[in-house]
Amino acid sequence: MSFASYRLRDPGGTYTFSSRPRAVENRSKAPQPQALRNYGNIMYDRRVVRGNTYTQHVLPTTAQANAAESQRQQELRRRNVTRRRDTSRLKTPDALQGRTHIHVQTDLYLEELSDVVMAADNECQTDAFLDKPATPLFIPAKTGKDVATQIEDGELFDFDREVQPVLEVLVGKTMEQSLLEVMEEEELACLRAQQRAFQELRNNELAEVQRLQEQERRRSEEKRRRVAQQREALQKEKETAEKIAARAYTQQYLADLLPAVFSSLTNHGFFYDSVEKDIETNFFPWLMTEVNSRLERRRTARHLLDSIIHDVAQMRVERFDELETQPEKCDE
Amino acid sequence: MDAVLLDQTRAPVAFGRRAVPQLFEQLQRPESDSRRRALASLCDLMHEPERIYQTVNGGFLEQLKGLLKDKDPTVRKQTCELLHLLSGHNIGRQALLSSSLLPPLSELLDDDSSSCRRNVHQVLNRLALLPAGADALLCLVPKLMMKLKEEEEEEEEEVQVLLLSTLSCCSSLDALPALALDAVSLVRHKLSHSSPNVRREAAAAMMALSVPEDGKRRVCEEAVLPVMVGLLQDTDVKVQANAAGVIMYTAITTPGKLQCLDLDVVPILLDLVSKKKEEEEEDNMERRRRMKALIMYSLRALTALAEAPNGRCLLLEQLPLLERRSEAAEEDEDIRRAAQTAVRVITWTP
Repeated sequence: MSFASYRLRDPGGTYTFSSRPRAVENRSKAPQPQALRNYGNIMYDRRVVRGNTYTQHVLPTTAQANAAESQRQQELRRRNVTRRRDTSRLKTPDALQGRTHIHVQTDLYLEELSDVVMAADNECQTDAFLDKPATPLFIPAKTGKDVATQIEDGELFDFDREVQPVLEVLVGKTMEQSLLEVMEEEELACLRAQQRAFQELRNNELAEVQRLQEQERRRSEEKRRRVAQQREALQKEKETAEKIAARAYTQQYLADLLPAVFSSLTNHGFFYDSVEKDIETNFFPWLMTEVNSRLERRRTARHLLDSIIHDVAQMRVERFDELETQPEKCDE
Repeated sequence: MDAVLLDQTRAPVAFGRRAVPQLFEQLQRPESDSRRRALASLCDLMHEPERIYQTVNGGFLEQLKGLLKDKDPTVRKQTCELLHLLSGHNIGRQALLSSSLLPPLSELLDDDSSSCRRNVHQVLNRLALLPAGADALLCLVPKLMMKLKEEEEEEEEEVQVLLLSTLSCCSSLDALPALALDAVSLVRHKLSHSSPNVRREAAAAMMALSVPEDGKRRVCEEAVLPVMVGLLQDTDVKVQANAAGVIMYTAITTPGKLQCLDLDVVPILLDLVSKKKEEEEEDNMERRRRMKALIMYSLRALTALAEAPNGRCLLLEQLPLLERRSEAAEEDEDIRRAAQTAVRVITWTP
């Protein structure tokens, strides 16, 4: 037997066999040669009818005893077989020794089922439900011993003892949370207080600083103002000194200005005697012109006279000349 | 996973290091109910510095940006509360400042839900306590001032207190932006509020505003000093201290000095400085600390006022009182120094 048949699980793995299908082995009463001992393929088993069953030669039941006919039929069959083998078709293998293949048709064994079973219809219907009367209480007879049990207070569990851990956890957690919160608040309060103290000191010092700044500013302003004032005062003093000096000088200069002025003016002829001026301006020119004219007249007169004399003299000369010349002619 | 929650308002918290990342993963879920629960658990966890370190270093802050714009107002409010807790620690504050969460946060100032707005103010207030934070919030000063103007009567005093506190912190860093928006008159209005907290914060803001020159000038112009003199006699010590601070700063300038002397503030200040004698025996550190600020500011104010001739005359009469202060009997170094300066200024002759 091959080991394959022992494998209970299908190669695909989807199901198992409790008894795996096996091919039927070739078993014969006589020990067979080794080659035939292997199990036969069902396809090549001669016992299995192959091919169409309606064209097979059906051996009638009466012709079984005729040996020659059977021999002839066997020969025919073998020829058919060889013929078919040539066409390589699968055929029923030949009958084994001591056996013959017989085509059997079950036509002869057919029976007509002709008996009709007598059947009768019957109906049944339940009645409508009737109210069932109450079943009487079934009280079984009392047998055995009665036993009772009762759970008293404190027997199942002791509340006070059991609640302790739970309570501890609850209280512990609450305390923890509240401690945290309180610590946080305290820390914040401390920080705030520190900050406030610092702020106060800072404010203090800031105020002091500002006050000193302001003081400084005021003082420096005051100083500046005073210095400016002082400078102004000095300036004024200098001016006044200069003014005084200038005044003294001018006074001194102007002291003898007046007589000098007068004297220069008089020298320039600004102060004049009006009569004298008048005489000078009006009279004297007239006088001079008169004198001039008189003198001019005199001059002209003299010039005239001179010219007359000259003329006369000239005439006399000429006459004398003439006379000179004439008497020579008229001589004596 | 959906087992019965012991506390319906909080999500279950994982153990150890896994707590914070898992809660942040839960925040990504679309149902707002689970987000609310996760936020509530996170708020509980964030009181511990190690968790805050984990949050900040794990880079979970960017997720919060999306949550700030959520539709559900409870989610927004709780996100702001978470940020409030984060800003209680230094790493949280630094992370907040360096991340880009400030613009969406400032948008939430106009939110509809008032509790959300209150939480936003709390976050801003905590941030402003840090100088770097105040620096970052300087650009928000105009918006905050607008909010202060709007919240005349409707908001609760808590929001007003927070707003004024934030403004005073920002102004102590740089008062000029606030002054430019006429903060002096706005804060002056708050000085007469009924609640001492509001008055205290308003006086503190005024003190911060009166540090620069411009502020001093404005304070004189807007007749704030009479109100301050009234506040000097307030019941709350801190209010008194802040009012004295304002006077101290304003009296440095000449118009301020003249106004203060007109208002006859010197006797009140002297009274404040000398009042502590009886209480010195009190062993209450807290009270003594609070009084210290008041006394220091009053001394400095007196010093500033002593530079004016009228003031000097008045104070020369009271010189023994101040000399008592400057002696070695006074334990507090700063008060002693301040008193010595005052005495020196008073007895100065040109």
